[in-house]
Amino acid sequence: MPTVSIISSGFLKQAAVVAKGLGLPEMAIAEFPGVPMTQSKAELRRQVIEQLLPRVIEGLSKPVQRQAAEREVLLPEPREIVFRGDFDALQEHFHQQGWSDGMPVVPPTLERIAKFLKFTERDANEVIGVMPPANRVASVWNVAVNGVMAGCRPEYMPILLAVAEIVCTPEYKIEDAGSTPGWESLIVLNGPIVKQLGFNAGQGVMRMGKQANTSVGRFLRLLVRNIAGFTHAPEGADKGSIGQSFLVALPENEDAAADIGWAPYSVDRGFNAGDNVVTVQSVVAISAPTYSGTEKAEEHMKIIADVIGERACGYWSAIGMVYANWHPLIVLGPSIAKVFAQDGWRKDDIRRYLYEQVKMPASRAEHYAYHCGQTGFRVTQAVKDGLLPPAYHESDDPDRLIPVFQRPEWIGIVIAGDWGRNQSKGYVCNHVQGVPTSRKVRLPQQWEALLAQAQK
Amino acid sequence: MTAVTHVNEPQYEVVWPLGKPAYAARAPNERVADLSSKVIGETWDYLFRGEEWFPILREELSKRYPGIQFVTYDTFGNLHGLNQRELVAKVPALLKEHKVDAVISGIGA
Repeated sequence: MPTVSIISSGFLKQAAVVAKGLGLPEMAIAEFPGVPMTQSKAELRRQVIEQLLPRVIEGLSKPVQRQAAEREVLLPEPREIVFRGDFDALQEHFHQQGWSDGMPVVPPTLERIAKFLKFTERDANEVIGVMPPANRVASVWNVAVNGVMAGCRPEYMPILLAVAEIVCTPEYKIEDAGSTPGWESLIVLNGPIVKQLGFNAGQGVMRMGKQANTSVGRFLRLLVRNIAGFTHAPEGADKGSIGQSFLVALPENEDAAADIGWAPYSVDRGFNAGDNVVTVQSVVAISAPTYSGTEKAEEHMKIIADVIGERACGYWSAIGMVYANWHPLIVLGPSIAKVFAQDGWRKDDIRRYLYEQVKMPASRAEHYAYHCGQTGFRVTQAVKDGLLPPAYHESDDPDRLIPVFQRPEWIGIVIAGDWGRNQSKGYVCNHVQGVPTSRKVRLPQQWEALLAQAQK
Repeated sequence: MTAVTHVNEPQYEVVWPLGKPAYAARAPNERVADLSSKVIGETWDYLFRGEEWFPILREELSKRYPGIQFVTYDTFGNLHGLNQRELVAKVPALLKEHKVDAVISGIGA
C-alpha cells in the first residue's frame, strides 16, 4: 500500500532508524515543520497548507527510488574479528562506531565470550528475539558480547539471558524505549541468585558501585543501544528529551520480607518463593527520598501517599490513564515494612490505601495529558471505551476526583535499601511502554559447580 | 581493521556487538500518480494535534483532487494506544474492505 508517514522535524532521525529497521529505507516521509505542540492554531494551519501538504502529495505520488533498497550490505558474522588493537585504540573505535555508552568497555574477545557461554546450555546462535526499532536480532551470542562489554562476570549470564528475553517480548514495547519521556528499564531481582552472585539489596542499593548491580544494569542499556538501535542523541535514535542514565539492578531484600512474614515480590509476580526471577519495568521518574518516622502504620502510609503517591506519581498518572496501563513501584525500607507488618498491614492494604486515598481532579489529568501531546484524551470517553474503570466517571463534574492509581494490584512493592534508616522511594513507570514483565532464570545443570569454579 | 599500536600494550581482537537485521531491505510500493478519485486512508496515533491537521489536509486535498475520498482515522482507532497490536493487525483487512488506494500515517513526534 503506498503510504506517506508524517514526521515532525525533530524526529526525522528516529524515523530513519524505524524505516531501515523495517527494511524500507526509502519509506516516504512528509516532514511536519517544527514542534506541533507549540504552534498557534493559525501557524499550524499555515504550516500544514504551505509545508506539509506538498510533502504529503509528493510522498504519495513521486516515483520510488529503488537503488539504495536493493543494495546488499555485508555485515560481520558473529565470530568474525572486526577490530584489532590496544586498549585505547579499541575504546576509540567503539566510541566512533557508536557501540559504547560513553564509558570504556571491556574488550569483547572470543575468550571472554566463551566464558559467558559456559553459563548457559543454550546454543550460542539461538535467536532470543528481534528488538525494534532497529529490528536487529538478539541472540545468546550477542547477549554474551554485550555482557562482556558491560563488565559483567560470566556467571551473570543466566540473568542477562532472562533480561534479554523480557525486553524482546512484544508486550514490553522496547521500540518505545527511546520516546521523549526518556524512560529507563529497571531490573528487579528475586531468589537465591541475589546472594549467590553478590548483589547488594541493602544500603545504597540503587547506587553505582557494586559490580553485580551496576554491570547488569549497564548491560541492559548496551543491549537497548546496540540491538534495539537506541544510540545516543543527537546523532542517534534515542529521543529522550532530557533523559536519564541507566538504573542499576534492584534486588529485593528477601530476608527482610521473610522476617516480617511477607512474601517476596516474585510471588506477587506469580512465581514461587525461592524462584530466581527477573522482572523488568520502565521507570520514567523517581520520587524524593521519603522519610516516615513513627511506629504507626497509618502515619507512614499518609506520608507515602502524599510524597510518592500524590507528588511523584500524580502528574505522570495522567499519561498512564491515556494508555490505561500504569504500574508504579514502591521500594520500602526494611524498617518501614516492619512497622506495617507489626501493625497487621499486608502489601494489599498498602495498595488499597493508595488506590482509595490518592486522587486528582479529572480536569487536571486531561490538562496534563493535553500538554504532553495526548491532545484528544478525555477521561469520560476512556471510561465509555472501557479503558478506565467506572470509578473514573462517577459524575459529569469535570473537577470530580479520580484515582491516581488505576488498579491496586498494579502497584509493585519491593523491600530494599538501608535497614538502619526509615526511607522509601517511588519509581514511576511510563505506562503501556515497559510494563512489568518477569521471567524465571534458567540455570545450567552444573550451576553450583560452575559458580564455585568461577568464584575461586 | 587494525589500529596504530603502542609498545608493550596487550592487543585485543574483538567481535561485533550488534545483531543482524531481521528484515531484508526492500523498496516501497509504487506511488499513486494522480490522487483524483482515489481513496485515502488515515492512520493516527492520537497524538500531537492530529485532530486539527488531518481535517486541514482533507480540505486541501479535496480542493486539488476531484473525487478524492477519505477513510478517516477513527475507522482504524488509536494505533499507538493500549490496543495497538490488535488494531494494527486489523489494518490490512480494513484497507481492503474500504478499497483504500493510499495511506497518510501520522504523526511521528
